[in-house]
Amino acid sequence: MPTTNATIALSSDITDNALSVTNTTTLNTAGTTVGLDAMTSVTKVLSSTNQVDLITTGTVSTTHAYVYINNPSTDNTEFFKITIGAAGGGSPTDTEEIGRLYGGDWMWFPWDVDDDICITPSVATDMTVEFQVFS
Amino acid sequence: MATTATITLTSADIAGDPVNVSKTATCTKAGATTDLDQSTGLQRVHLRSTANKVLLAANAEGNDLAAKVYIINKATDPTLYLTITINAQTIGKLYAGDWMFIPWSQTDTAANIEVAATNHTAGTGDIPVEYALFHEDTDFLTNA
Repeated sequence: MPTTNATIALSSDITDNALSVTNTTTLNTAGTTVGLDAMTSVTKVLSSTNQVDLITTGTVSTTHAYVYINNPSTDNTEFFKITIGAAGGGSPTDTEEIGRLYGGDWMWFPWDVDDDICITPSVATDMTVEFQVFS
Repeated sequence: MATTATITLTSADIAGDPVNVSKTATCTKAGATTDLDQSTGLQRVHLRSTANKVLLAANAEGNDLAAKVYIINKATDPTLYLTITINAQTIGKLYAGDWMFIPWSQTDTAANIEVAATNHTAGTGDIPVEYALFHEDTDFLTNA
């Protein structure tokens, strides 16, 4: 099985004693040491402020996945609202906002593939979003 | 007063060509280039509850402001996982060694980040969890 690693290097000097954390995880199927074997890598350009389904549950055949989303914009004022919630019923209907991904920000999280991941650009001018799903 | 987070994703064999993605984010206040200036520091708890426990309590004052959350499951048993929820919406499961780094909107006071050691039993031992919050705003006493 493939071996895929995700590493974070986190550093901060907000506090008097600086924080420096580095951790690597190997992406495995749920509860095992067997490596994930599927990957999707997509770049999209969004040209309206409508909420859209970015990653749908139907694109992943497992119940455990990892998601990377990147806002490559260099404009710090532009952001995406990232939401997750009930898919279907006229989806995108997701209402639980996880967070706002400003220009230059990225996020990484495990996904239980129960509900779609949706995205709402802050401006209607072309905004590029990049994402990868490992499952 | 900078906080930076770098992700590196690598795989030599999940695709026909190697995967190597690396991205560094400098954590700034919402819509600005000013660095975040508040942090909980790195904290550690031992979780044994199969019910949701509040790891980070939302404060509606944090809505529209920037906050970044780092969480890692420090268990070594690959079967042990944490279920991560925000406002009762399940996000995913963090298995042993897994970490996450997300922006957090705190859209209202119900938008707590909660964790549960869903498959914990007396025989599995506690799940060590480490986490940190980096954020802005003036009087937000997170987890106080």
